[in-house]
Amino acid sequence: MKCILNTGRTVPQGAAVEHKGSDTYRAVTSSCFVNPVDMMMLGIENGARLRITTPVGYVVLSARSAEGVTRGEIFVTIGPYANHIISSETHGTGMPDFKSQSVEVEPTEEPILSVGELMEEIGGLRYDRQ
Amino acid sequence: MIVSDVVCPFCGCLCDDLELEVEGDRVVRVQNGCSLAEATFMHDTRLPTPIRRTKSGWEDISYDEAIKETADILREADRPLLYGWSSTHGEAQSVGVHIAELIGAVIDNTSTVCHGPSILAIQEVGHPGCTLGQVKNRADVIIYWGCNPIEAHPRHMSRYTTYATGFFVPDAQLERTVIVVDTRRNDTTGIADEFLQVEPGGDYAVLSALRAIVRGKDAVIPKKVAGITKEQLIRVAELCKKAKFGAIFFGLGLTMSRGKYKNIRNAIELTDELSRHTKFVISPMRGHGNVYGSNEVFTWMTGYPFAVDFARGIAFYNPGETTAVDILRREECDAALIVASDPGANFPRAAAAHLAKIPTVVIDPHVNATTALSRIHIPCTAAGIDAAGTAYRMDGVPIRLKKVIERGYPDDAEILKKIYDLLNGGMGP
Repeated sequence: MKCILNTGRTVPQGAAVEHKGSDTYRAVTSSCFVNPVDMMMLGIENGARLRITTPVGYVVLSARSAEGVTRGEIFVTIGPYANHIISSETHGTGMPDFKSQSVEVEPTEEPILSVGELMEEIGGLRYDRQ
Repeated sequence: MIVSDVVCPFCGCLCDDLELEVEGDRVVRVQNGCSLAEATFMHDTRLPTPIRRTKSGWEDISYDEAIKETADILREADRPLLYGWSSTHGEAQSVGVHIAELIGAVIDNTSTVCHGPSILAIQEVGHPGCTLGQVKNRADVIIYWGCNPIEAHPRHMSRYTTYATGFFVPDAQLERTVIVVDTRRNDTTGIADEFLQVEPGGDYAVLSALRAIVRGKDAVIPKKVAGITKEQLIRVAELCKKAKFGAIFFGLGLTMSRGKYKNIRNAIELTDELSRHTKFVISPMRGHGNVYGSNEVFTWMTGYPFAVDFARGIAFYNPGETTAVDILRREECDAALIVASDPGANFPRAAAAHLAKIPTVVIDPHVNATTALSRIHIPCTAAGIDAAGTAYRMDGVPIRLKKVIERGYPDDAEILKKIYDLLNGGMGP
């Protein structure tokens, strides 16, 4: 299903923002809010995994039904999961399309990566001593 | 020990009425703060010591070693990028600008992926704004456009708008009309007197339609504009024209969506149009605690608010070229110093990925996503918790952040001064 990816802040994201290795931060930023009718069209329930693909790559997120989200739109809390699939093109403004990235949404059985694993996918090495 | 009148450094509201209970080097209770303030003060986990990436893992190193290696990395780089700055105080930001000038670096702050487009629009058409105190005491119509204060600035409504008792607005909840424009329904739209649910990317068209109606040209408006009925647009325009004092607050819903800075320009021009009928002001909802300060400090030192390139020996500013995401996307920079921010989590994939390809140094109190992409991470104080300093509220009012506890970390301004000294043969900025 083709959708527009919208991103934004939430209180749980802000509260966990300095704990990026935590389960809370991972749960908050890897949730994908989808209109209930679109959930039905995709044939999925709350908590099902979704593979979100753009020309940049793909990321696996956890679906959450949200009536406030319009059909054809998905909302993901700002963070490394959403950014994993957002293009770096800024159209000469310095600002990427954080709220208007076109995406392809499909159900999947693939696992949701941790923030450390996402960073390792792009050449990093996680630091998990606390 | 109770410490009162504490400033929360988390978001651009910089609420200055917090009361903290402190036991030794810990904050054990936060009063008056929102849940973001509680998390900021009470769950403040730090990286204990500087770390360096090895071939197979991470090793602890001394501050002296970390600072020397950082200076070496910056000295050897042809096109270093100094990025971040929004969660620390002006004192550290100013040393950052000195380093950038000394080594011919590009220095950019987080407004580049936040309200950078708002600044571009303000540079085109100006900023009819005011302080939050004026809004609190006078505004009877509040518009939140593309922002969600309940989630991102939880006390904005209770301190300055919807629920705040003002001198000329004694019964706030009865006397203030709240209009919210957003693409999706959320907690903020739930308390709106008028909610305009705009189609994604339709903000520019809605702003233009409102401008036309305020000008008396409603005959040209079609039945629906980006999902909003003409009747609602006319009703909202009338509400605004009848206001004694109207205040528009806008967020990343305008700066990040299609049109970017042109959306903000249109919103400012709507404010101008409305001010021909009554008094209207407009202001961005700044995110990080001191992101406004980074714009102030950069501007008074270089003439430009962000994306400043010193490669030519003079300050050069060209957003789209000298902005951090573009420099990383083009794989142009060959070293990076990241201070008080987390581009690993907040930059698009390709931009973040380049940080892992070059020597990147992070100076930040906390382990974050950028730590994984860095070669060295140097922990420091957190401004407003264990370091005092100056920060600017979202309306441009400078507020002194307090040091409420001592945790034994060096101030990031001190670390940066040492790096400057090493780069400048022992001479300070």
